Amino acid sequence: MALLNSEDWYDIARDTNWTPRYVSEQALFPKELSDVLEMPLELLETFDEPYKVTYRDYVKTQREKDVGAYSVKAALARSQMYENASPGWKALLQMHFGAVSFLEYHSVSAFARMTRFGRAPGMRNMATFGSLDEMRHAQVHLYFAYEYLAKSRTFDWAQKAPRTDNWVIISERHTFDDLEHTRDAISAAIMTNFAFETAFTNLQFIALSADAANCGDFSFSTMLQSIQSDEARHAQIGEPLLKMMIDSGRKAEAQKLIDISFWRCWKQFSALSGTCMDYYTPLDKREGSFKEFMNEWILDQFVAKLEDMGMEKPWYWDLLLEDIEVFHHAQQLGIYLYRPTEWWHPIAGTNPAERAWLEEKYPGWNDTFGQVWDVIIENIRAGRLDSTIPKTLPMLCNMHGLELTGVPGRKWNLKDHTLDYQGRRYHFQSVVDKWIFEQEPERYAGHLSLIDRVAQGIVAPDGVMEHMNMAPEEYGIEGTNYAWVEAYDDALTTRRATGT
Amino acid sequence: MNTATNGLKTWTTLAGGRRRPTEYEVVSYNLHTRTRHPGYAYELSPELFMNRFYREHVGGSVLQHPDWDAFRDPDELIYRQYNVLQDGHEEYVDGLLEEHARNEHDLALDPAWLKGLPRLYTAARYPLHALQMAAAYVVQMAPASTITNCAAFQGADQYRWISRLAYRTRELQVACPDLGFGAERALWEDDPAWQGFRELLEKLLATYDWGEHVIALNVVAKPAFDLCRCRQLARAARDAGDTLTAMLLEAEWRDSERSQRWTQALVALTLQHAPNDAAIATILARWQPLADTAIDAWCAALPGVPEAAAAVKRGLRELQQACGVQPA
Repeated sequence: MALLNSEDWYDIARDTNWTPRYVSEQALFPKELSDVLEMPLELLETFDEPYKVTYRDYVKTQREKDVGAYSVKAALARSQMYENASPGWKALLQMHFGAVSFLEYHSVSAFARMTRFGRAPGMRNMATFGSLDEMRHAQVHLYFAYEYLAKSRTFDWAQKAPRTDNWVIISERHTFDDLEHTRDAISAAIMTNFAFETAFTNLQFIALSADAANCGDFSFSTMLQSIQSDEARHAQIGEPLLKMMIDSGRKAEAQKLIDISFWRCWKQFSALSGTCMDYYTPLDKREGSFKEFMNEWILDQFVAKLEDMGMEKPWYWDLLLEDIEVFHHAQQLGIYLYRPTEWWHPIAGTNPAERAWLEEKYPGWNDTFGQVWDVIIENIRAGRLDSTIPKTLPMLCNMHGLELTGVPGRKWNLKDHTLDYQGRRYHFQSVVDKWIFEQEPERYAGHLSLIDRVAQGIVAPDGVMEHMNMAPEEYGIEGTNYAWVEAYDDALTTRRATGT
Repeated sequence: MNTATNGLKTWTTLAGGRRRPTEYEVVSYNLHTRTRHPGYAYELSPELFMNRFYREHVGGSVLQHPDWDAFRDPDELIYRQYNVLQDGHEEYVDGLLEEHARNEHDLALDPAWLKGLPRLYTAARYPLHALQMAAAYVVQMAPASTITNCAAFQGADQYRWISRLAYRTRELQVACPDLGFGAERALWEDDPAWQGFRELLEKLLATYDWGEHVIALNVVAKPAFDLCRCRQLARAARDAGDTLTAMLLEAEWRDSERSQRWTQALVALTLQHAPNDAAIATILARWQPLADTAIDAWCAALPGVPEAAAAVKRGLRELQQACGVQPA
């Protein structure tokens, strides 16, 4: 007799639901944790994971994958990659490890929520692997960041970030706590696995990975790709659940979960990946622009997926297309100006050649964002470095938590969308951010942004850095020591001479 | 203005220690973001359901400790080592299955013994799955990442043995199509042998205080269940000539022993905080009787091992004593 194939016994391993007797169904699966929509159990039990993996195969495959990912790291441990990297690439690595490691670790628990409170054994088993996957991603991130720690203390944030109230970290937590950690297992799976992982992780793991390889940072590139192979598997938890929601007449509820999640993820990726791709990655190493990648890999693919499932594009699609042209450019300005509040060493990424590229990829950039950069350049060239760092705190959006920005220059467009709710005024970047708040105000209303904390006297204006857990030696500094403006000495002479 | 761009020897959170941090500490220590603020675990309205839930069941738990992050897994297991370890153990299990299949092991088993296997052996996938779910609760609630990680490995281990049990269920179903292999749900739900464990595990799953949950799970329910099967059923299987069942259960026991090691470390840490002594005693007093009932009912169904229940209870008390707690 030979060994059985997994399909011979797989169904038995997921035939593990039973009807409770000694406690109630509600006590075992409170709806707030399992399924707020209370879909019928018979339906939920039909969950059939599209990608089936056995425990036996999981530990074998993952062992082999780790050998690959860690051996690349070992081979490069003694290389001078980091020392030789451009200031932009260093800033990207510093930001990435600080911003991403803790989110990966946090997700271990999001999957555990599905393992405990999902209603189908197949879902629970796949989520069991999901927890392990996320532990892998966190540990590989921390391992790599620890290597860099000897070179720069900025990498301490890979480990420290989760325990801080830095404004970037607050923004990330507000987003991902909303999608992954504070909803019932089914809603969280739709928002996390379907909308976030299916749609957006390509951005990190394909676009960033390609840029990393172009930069010669093979360990980072390999790490990202290896992580993507896990994401591609466990992201599939969402799709069968979405289908159940549609089939049981809950399409509108599913659509809302997707619309909220997609927009919230968009804001995060725009601010963090968008700036990395269009400003931090060295010009000659860029695969394409952030906008191009969004259009090809995110929007087209996600819309095809949604339509394939019988869902609609989010209602704000036209606003999203407008936002793709501008939001990350505005955030890049804010991130550069408020650099002491960040753990990484931001760069401008706007020397004459880079501006020409930005203008080509985003026609009109010079007349809008470029005008603000002109002022910054003038200040730096005149030695007025203090003038390039704002003295007042920025307004933060009460939804995405990032700076409230608009389009500067000749197309000036900044509108603060406000909402008064139970005696408090909330500020939003856009009608979409405001719409999300309005869907469930009590979910968001009690939260205080960093600026709210100052306004309410919880944090003293001169205590903001301390509140953000930033020691003076951690304040972000200009990544190039302002060397980038030197390129304007020639360029300015030329522009003045030609009158352009 | 900061001008420092130099590096650090270790994470600031680990700096000042007397020795160089291990890889385990570097990638496992102090990673939770939900424990940073007692008022709200999640960055949303403090009164949101999940924030209230976490506050009530962790912040207000019967077990308190000023520094849960001081917990260390004695095995110092990290993800990549877990896969190396378990891939090796799974290879061993593959070998066992292959060898016994080649020898037509199932066909040589005593018919009376075979008849009892759905009840005694293969029905266990339901309680194993309950234990998988219970471990996942510890993962999502534990106030220290080092605890969360141990629970995540424990949960995965439970699924490991569900998988192997499913494999054996199918093999036995093929060998003996009329004995009810694959249709064990009714046994789990109605057979008197299982009702004690069913009550214990259902009540455990519905216990949301994280401290009570982890103690009831790892100091009472799981070791009781594992002792019944991995020790007593394994013994009975050996006596019945069912070496495959015995060897699989003995392999499962290795995972259980790892669970016991981190449980001992966790309880030792917990007892450093004096009020927990009484809290644990209360938890044991509440859960031990349920476990005893479960052990009695299950062991009564075990043929040929009349003293099984006493042996399990003795074993359980020894494990509890090793944890430093006085059995109820």
